Amino acid sequence: MLFETGGFQLMDKPDPARNVKTTTQKVSLSREERQKQLEFQKEAVVHLNSLYNYALHLTMNPSDAEDLVQETYLKAYRFFNSFERGTNCKAWLFKILKNNYINRFRKNSKEPGKVDYDLIKDFYHSIKDVQNDTSEDESDYFHSLLHEEVYQALHSLPEEFREVIQLCDIEGFTYEEIANMVESPIGTVRSRLYRGRKLLREQLEGYAKKYGFNTDKDQ
Amino acid sequence: MSAAVDFELSLKEEQGFLLHLSECKECQDEFDEAKKTKMIIKEKIVQFKAPQSLIDSIMELTSVSVH
Repeated sequence: MLFETGGFQLMDKPDPARNVKTTTQKVSLSREERQKQLEFQKEAVVHLNSLYNYALHLTMNPSDAEDLVQETYLKAYRFFNSFERGTNCKAWLFKILKNNYINRFRKNSKEPGKVDYDLIKDFYHSIKDVQNDTSEDESDYFHSLLHEEVYQALHSLPEEFREVIQLCDIEGFTYEEIANMVESPIGTVRSRLYRGRKLLREQLEGYAKKYGFNTDKDQ
Repeated sequence: MSAAVDFELSLKEEQGFLLHLSECKECQDEFDEAKKTKMIIKEKIVQFKAPQSLIDSIMELTSVSVH
């Protein structure tokens, strides 16, 4: 998959110019603070892409997603000391993001659960243009047709189903983590996954008939 | 069923599940379908790279130059 390769080289290659400028500032920065920053970068910033994608799924809008992610990291950094080291940082960040999303967007936007297919199509194409700037595999373009179908099918699902599928299949969280994030018992998570996947299958079968869809030949 | 697909069953539960599958074609088929669906999602949903502007601003947020 095309992600998480070049984006974080920034961390390993400090800008010499920047160091020169900030040696004076470093004096006023406590060692603790510096330690915190390094740790935050190591633990939290690595999940930037995942968070961004999650935000995209929630907002269906790249600039809203960016704002959401920034807000999340701001909060996360501020409350980093309350994060229990050794537990899943990604899950912690996801929870913050979800809460931010609810507070920011859900309260004043249109009815939830209504899917705008034109919006999805436009959005998907706008994202594809952006991605063409980065080096993309030729074969991915061929797959992108099918991507769109799966993407649409996923987004046609009711939100509770879509969300657990995303958290489980795309992000790889455990049932326990998901249950915590969506604030429902594990049994509910299980049944939502079951029903969600079933619905998704039915949707995809419709597409498969149209396009002679075949997953076996991949990799 | 979904727990089996996601490897969330205990050893004992899994054994019981597999035993049942060996005897029940319908469930075996459904299990295969569910696994396929999960695979489709994992492979087909593209994860987008965060835009450089976002990366930059997050780095700025958490690095020495911001004070």
